[in-house]
Amino acid sequence: MNTTIKAATFAAIAILCRAAYGQGFGFGASLSSNTGIDISGTWHYGGDQDADYGTAAGSVGDYGGIPLNEAGRLYALAWDASRATVRQQQCAGYGIPYAYFSPGNFRFWEERDPHTQQLIAIHMWFQTSEVRRTIWMDGRPHPPAWAPHTFAGFSTGTWDKNVLTITTTHLKRAWLRGNGVPYSDEATVVEKLVRHGDRITVFTVTKDPVFLDEPYSKTMINIRNIKDPTAWLYACEDGEEIIGRSEDKIPNRLFGKNPFLREWADKNGVPMLATLGGGITTHPEFPAKLKDAAAAEAEAMKEIVPSGTQQSSRAVNPDPNDGDIHVWKVQGNVYLLIGDGGNIAVQVGDQGAFVVDSGAGKLSDKVISAIGKLSKAPIQFVVNTSFRPDHTGGNAALGKAGQDPSLPGSFFGGQAPTGATGFFQDPSHHATLIAQNNVLVRMEAAKLPSDMVPPDTYLTNRRRKYHNGELIEIFHEPNAVTDGDSVVQFRRSDVIATGDIYDTTRYPFIDVKSGGSVQGELDALNSILDKTGYEHDEDGGTMIIPGRGRISDEYDVAEYRDMVAIVRDRVQSMLDAGATLDQVKAARLTADYDTRYGATSGPWTTDMFVEAVYTSLKNAKSQAARK
Amino acid sequence: MMCHMSRILWVTMIPALFSVRAGAQFGPGGPPRSAQASAPSDLTGYWVSMVTEDWRYRMLPPRKIGPPAGGIFGGGIGVPINAEARKVATAWDPARDEAAGEQCKSYGAPNLMRVPGRLHITWQDDQTLKIETDAGMQNRMFHFTAAQEAGGGWQGVSRAEWEALEGFQIPGLGPLSGLGFEKTGSLKVVTTNLKPGYLRKNGIPYSDKAVLTEYYDVVTQPDGAIYLLITSTVDDPVYLMAPYQTTTHFKKQADASGWSPAPCSSR
Repeated sequence: MNTTIKAATFAAIAILCRAAYGQGFGFGASLSSNTGIDISGTWHYGGDQDADYGTAAGSVGDYGGIPLNEAGRLYALAWDASRATVRQQQCAGYGIPYAYFSPGNFRFWEERDPHTQQLIAIHMWFQTSEVRRTIWMDGRPHPPAWAPHTFAGFSTGTWDKNVLTITTTHLKRAWLRGNGVPYSDEATVVEKLVRHGDRITVFTVTKDPVFLDEPYSKTMINIRNIKDPTAWLYACEDGEEIIGRSEDKIPNRLFGKNPFLREWADKNGVPMLATLGGGITTHPEFPAKLKDAAAAEAEAMKEIVPSGTQQSSRAVNPDPNDGDIHVWKVQGNVYLLIGDGGNIAVQVGDQGAFVVDSGAGKLSDKVISAIGKLSKAPIQFVVNTSFRPDHTGGNAALGKAGQDPSLPGSFFGGQAPTGATGFFQDPSHHATLIAQNNVLVRMEAAKLPSDMVPPDTYLTNRRRKYHNGELIEIFHEPNAVTDGDSVVQFRRSDVIATGDIYDTTRYPFIDVKSGGSVQGELDALNSILDKTGYEHDEDGGTMIIPGRGRISDEYDVAEYRDMVAIVRDRVQSMLDAGATLDQVKAARLTADYDTRYGATSGPWTTDMFVEAVYTSLKNAKSQAARK
Repeated sequence: MMCHMSRILWVTMIPALFSVRAGAQFGPGGPPRSAQASAPSDLTGYWVSMVTEDWRYRMLPPRKIGPPAGGIFGGGIGVPINAEARKVATAWDPARDEAAGEQCKSYGAPNLMRVPGRLHITWQDDQTLKIETDAGMQNRMFHFTAAQEAGGGWQGVSRAEWEALEGFQIPGLGPLSGLGFEKTGSLKVVTTNLKPGYLRKNGIPYSDKAVLTEYYDVVTQPDGAIYLLITSTVDDPVYLMAPYQTTTHFKKQADASGWSPAPCSSR
């Protein structure tokens, strides 16, 4: 057979096979929803556009063409390049879609079922920051809202002809541009990859209710490498870049006082309004707005400081609120139970279950049932991270459902005083409730039933237990959100339950009347960060169970710490200038974070948080003056 | 399987072969289908540019390119121009262009899609796709059959074809679309015979030897928003050291809202 006949024969076989078995043959897989063009191989960012941003570059005030909302713009304007020296920022990974702009190469490869050859996943490896990414092609759903986030996020893909559509959720707060332009952990990115020969056109649409006022759409080109590059690694290890700087000093710029605000505009001879971004800057009508120079300047002046009304969080509440308890394995022997107010952490093993917090108590039966499925032995210990009802509400029920087998036969067995109730009435048939002593004091002062009050308390900075094959440490964090906060660290599982010190759903609930303070909160967050490590470029490693919200890691806690430190600095600055509380509230000093953590109503509003910061700073100032 | 199928293979193969040779625009066993009828995607309608790439070069007033040492900040960044092109660009004078009636030098095909504005795409006839722009009021004609135009204007002569995946081609036989395999949905357009103009408004030149190759892709977002992606390469042996590659995108509009024809501007 000559070449043409051979090829035609092959083609005919392909057609028959396709008809007979519904799948392609010979020339590659058919263009079904599960398979498409082959993008395997190594690529690099190519094309000739956006050359200014090919690395972690960009000037302050170079946000044109990015649809930033007020919060996003103010976040970027408050960014200080020195923030990159903060330990948790030094090796932070590149997010999606920013990673595409990174210098260096990236690789796609397929993972197929060895028996059916069905496509399971497409893997990506970005050289810069070693972003490891999996795009699941097998139709699996995205994880629930309480699952952890990463820089690469969780991606699923489908094929439509020569277009690969990738949907990514569960991203971390990262950069849209290396000059402090953020996207939040609420962002969703949809990518379309279209291959034309040795080029892939990448189209990304980033939706972020927190920092963007419109979807941010963008295109770029990737070029196929003819030869496999030799450089694939990105060795990064954080260190002390600014010796002697306190961990709660986070470089930032006060609103309206960034000294580099006009630098880019002046250098390029353009009105400042052209530099501040916003959805309008992506539309063809925008240049017309610049024609009236005076009006453009006036508008720019409004945009560099908070000028609108106070905003509420636009983040999805990770709490399912569906009347059920949901279980998520965090890592090691530790699980998250979510659904009954505050988060519950459960450690299981050969001994009884070790529980951190008991929830609001509305779904205690379901909590006990869920723990029963995880642990063969009953609940043995319950630690309360604070006295608050959504962390102690289930104390009585969980205590009653458990038992502490370390007590019968011990010195402590049969020590119940006459007339005792709750735990003290029958300590050997009851889980032991543990907390810092101020929790007991406050719960007794509130005249709560004795079976809700933790009888086993500690006073000093640390309590230890070796249980279920690992060391568990309970640390007192004084004057954080209250005066009785505890953080629980599971050493072998490498999990920390933080209680309300860290809360992904709102500003920290600093209760000044109960002993909380903004500096204590910062110290507590830094104390948590002293105990954490990351697996790779600020992803993974020590996992964090917050008092409320989604599972996190070191970077997420650091972001929260940075937020608290930056807000503290702003309030302190106004306080030092003699501002009253009302003036501080009116200044909207949290405007860049309100769309993520703010609330204008409910039990913990933005104004309450600002007041707590103001009051605790003022108290500290008064105390310092007295000394 | 090949042995068992060998007898019926040849019976099946003969019409298939004819179909393959007939080319991409032919339906299996039927008469030739027009480019419009065989379009795998719909490019027609009104589109508005979403200016997020090379934003400052497209949205802000043009600035003259600097000398080589400072060129990276002078407006030439990103375009792989040679020394001759730099010499031309540094002599850019919009007033001279206006005096010569050549305000449209940055509205030629190699840069037209980068100009912020709106497109109106229609079928001029069943073998010609027409793109009108409100910015500069230009018309581009994409011919799926041999063009009758001589070229030499700002938009040159554009030859178009629906792209089939290279992976499905058999050497010597061309794309297998005639066998029922799916086309990719991409439109490929090659434009030649251009009048010399600018790759950017600030006078970075292209010559009459420039060849523009474009791919047009329509993609739909989960929320229903439809985007047009244009992937472009300009090859110019006179002024470029390497192909100049860009991507540009537009969002589909429901109607002609915002359509605002405006003449070319040098500034």
